[in-house]
Amino acid sequence: MIDKISFDRALKRVEKPARYIGMEKNSIKKDLEKVDIKFAFCFPDVYEVGMSHLGLHILYNLLNNEDYIACERVFAPWADMENEMRKEGIPLFSLENKEPIRNFDFVGFTLQYEMSYTNIINMLDLGNIPVYSKDRKDSDPLVIAGGPCAYNPEPIADFIDFFVIGEAEEIILDIMKIYREHKSNGFKRLEFLKEISRLEGIYVPQFYDVFYKEDNTIDRMEPIFDGVPRVINKRIIKELDKSYYPDKLIVPFIETVHDRIPLEIFRGCTRGCRFCQAGMIYRPVREKTVDTLVKLAEKLADSTGYGDISLTSLSSCDYSQLRLLVSKLISKYKEKQVGVSLPSLRLDSFSLEILKEIEKVRKTGLTFAPEAGSQRLRDVINKGVTEKDLETAVTYAFEEGWSTIKLYFMIGLPTETKEDVLGIKDLGYKVKNIFFNLPKEKRKGNLKITLSVSCFVPKPFTPFQWIGQNSIDEFYEKINLLKKEIRDNKITFNYHDPQISYLEAVLARGDRRLSKALYKAWELGCKFDGWSDFFDYEKWMEAFNKTGIDADFYALRERKTDEVLPWDFIDTGVDKKYLIAEYEKAKNGTLTRDCRLGCNNCGINRSFLGGVC
Amino acid sequence: MNLRVKFTKEGYLKFISHLDMMRLFDRAFRRGNIPIKYSQGFNPQPKISIANPLALGIESQAEFMDVELNERMPEKYFIDIMNNELPEGIRIIDAKYVDDNNIVSSAVGWSYYEINVKVYNVEDIDFIKGFIDKWLMNTEILMERTRIKKGKEIKDIRNIRPLIGNVTVAEHDKDIRKGTEHELKLYCLLKSGDSGNLKPTDFLMAFKEYTGLDMDIEMADIKRLNMYLEVNGEIRSPM
Repeated sequence: MIDKISFDRALKRVEKPARYIGMEKNSIKKDLEKVDIKFAFCFPDVYEVGMSHLGLHILYNLLNNEDYIACERVFAPWADMENEMRKEGIPLFSLENKEPIRNFDFVGFTLQYEMSYTNIINMLDLGNIPVYSKDRKDSDPLVIAGGPCAYNPEPIADFIDFFVIGEAEEIILDIMKIYREHKSNGFKRLEFLKEISRLEGIYVPQFYDVFYKEDNTIDRMEPIFDGVPRVINKRIIKELDKSYYPDKLIVPFIETVHDRIPLEIFRGCTRGCRFCQAGMIYRPVREKTVDTLVKLAEKLADSTGYGDISLTSLSSCDYSQLRLLVSKLISKYKEKQVGVSLPSLRLDSFSLEILKEIEKVRKTGLTFAPEAGSQRLRDVINKGVTEKDLETAVTYAFEEGWSTIKLYFMIGLPTETKEDVLGIKDLGYKVKNIFFNLPKEKRKGNLKITLSVSCFVPKPFTPFQWIGQNSIDEFYEKINLLKKEIRDNKITFNYHDPQISYLEAVLARGDRRLSKALYKAWELGCKFDGWSDFFDYEKWMEAFNKTGIDADFYALRERKTDEVLPWDFIDTGVDKKYLIAEYEKAKNGTLTRDCRLGCNNCGINRSFLGGVC
Repeated sequence: MNLRVKFTKEGYLKFISHLDMMRLFDRAFRRGNIPIKYSQGFNPQPKISIANPLALGIESQAEFMDVELNERMPEKYFIDIMNNELPEGIRIIDAKYVDDNNIVSSAVGWSYYEINVKVYNVEDIDFIKGFIDKWLMNTEILMERTRIKKGKEIKDIRNIRPLIGNVTVAEHDKDIRKGTEHELKLYCLLKSGDSGNLKPTDFLMAFKEYTGLDMDIEMADIKRLNMYLEVNGEIRSPM
């Protein structure tokens, strides 16, 4: 346990000390002397962000359900706390037992976004654990990682002992059992890693050599031992309805980003938007039944006392039994003052009718994501919505009393022209006109339209994985064009920082040579890079310069479809051939139908049985 | 049905804010199926009111709140259910139905604190008791305070002497002194509530200013020991 007196001193000096105290309802504190395996679940961001992540709650409870395992939570301390910890000599610790993380058997990071990578290095350093995998001894913890960004594990390959590719709840207990055996027979790191590397879904980066061509692209990747697989298949839960889901959730003391019950209604998405990584890697679609969900909701509401249930998934309005589920939940919880909410909305009146039922009286803002300003470009990205959909939805919304509308767009999408960019403005003005064309007595409230623009980042395993990102200058040109053109006191325009998006693109599609640049950036002081108040572009450029990395090579270069990509050795179940075909269709603006309307042969059906595609 | 509840806030729970406490009680009521009354409107809130919320980092042996219930339930029942739902550090130690309309948050007038603070760079602290007595002989102790009203900083000077009641210095253990570093233990009764309020840290600040002592106020351990109502010039327990 860390020193209580120094810890108390530190807490008195920092903002939001409750981030570091643990003790929340439903948190689980075991006697660490009495378990075989100690697992530190690390979220490389601050408490409020990490506690809003569903995967943490699932794995935390799944692991703690086993008597021989203690799983405890670790978050990145905010900069003020980090200063105090370094000053007081407090190593990074878990919230439950306040135990230094270097005393754990496993230190497991969840990779939700690339911009958290420097926090991983910082957390290892704060935990007195060797940052590089090659420097760890048998007595050091095993540093592992999983989550969506693990689909391209290469940029952090030097720091991680092994990756879990896919849905970890399917495999984590198998890993624990194998480790327990090794531990009881005298743990040898290399022996353990060798055995675990044969498990489907496990990737041990140090067991592979990567060879490069003269043009810096990858020639090939070779396993260094026999029996180490050349291709890593993702692991998924086949029957989501019967899979483990916790009936208790930790209830934070302080307000978190999502302060409510997350009720996961399905995984995967059938829409096939070509820019969307989640839509590709989480295939196939797997729904939970209404019965299962209603039972779960009851247990969770009883055990947490939350006043809100959020129906989560990648596209909740696509749930086949949504109306039934919503009406069951609402009739059950109205009396108890428990609300139901939908985090993502489709641009159709069905979604709005459901929303109307849910919200009854309270008319909070509505958010839609047309993603692109013109029909042509929306077809390129296979976002199956039309201008008519938007018109219908917005008209309906205004008539029903909403007056605050937020529209999300991306700039820098493939084939984008000036006209497409200006289409963003046109849509905003169109929405405004719809409002004022309504008879005065039908308009309620003060119209407020927000046009929010982010910079497109091409991601692995999408049909756009080969595309060169717009340069920072190009992004600013488009932003400035919109800034100049959007002049209306009813319409607010805001945009994401192109420099952050550029770095995200470098890390998202990088190879293992980036590890040294990440280390250098951390040495120069980079952390919390996803937070604009911390992000320091100059330091990153310095890190790339000093390590001889050409960042444009990763972000801006258009790849040929026959190039060996750093993540090609991972098989998500979706064929590369399918991604190439989608890429070609995108260039012609040809749509691909929703998988629920008929199979598009992406390959997932052959790879995994039990999907509803 | 107004239930007056006395509870503690100790250990690490001193680091959660008043807003956090409101959320925490709301969720504990829900888990425990306590028949709590909710406000009307778009965003119904449980009808609870906590007297004189503590600043972050201050512990308490005696906090008070009034809870409106839809139906009467035995006090003991309420206490047992809630203590099962509340985190270690927050314990309900008493509950009682009250029928006066004067809810506890507006009725409370005084708080009694224990303060442990380090004093540096003096040979001895025996003289402090005399110092305090002399200080409190003043009919006026002026202190500047900064408030933010409508986004603007407003500075004013107020007389805090009427906000200070009894102050005593505990006999201190000479053995724990380290060189010229001392542990000073004080007990003080300070006005808290709608009719005047003095935070214990402000009290310390004023005392530090008067004496010029080198005190580490930021690191002081402060604990509220009790709260009182003032009725016709007499103080009594809210229970």
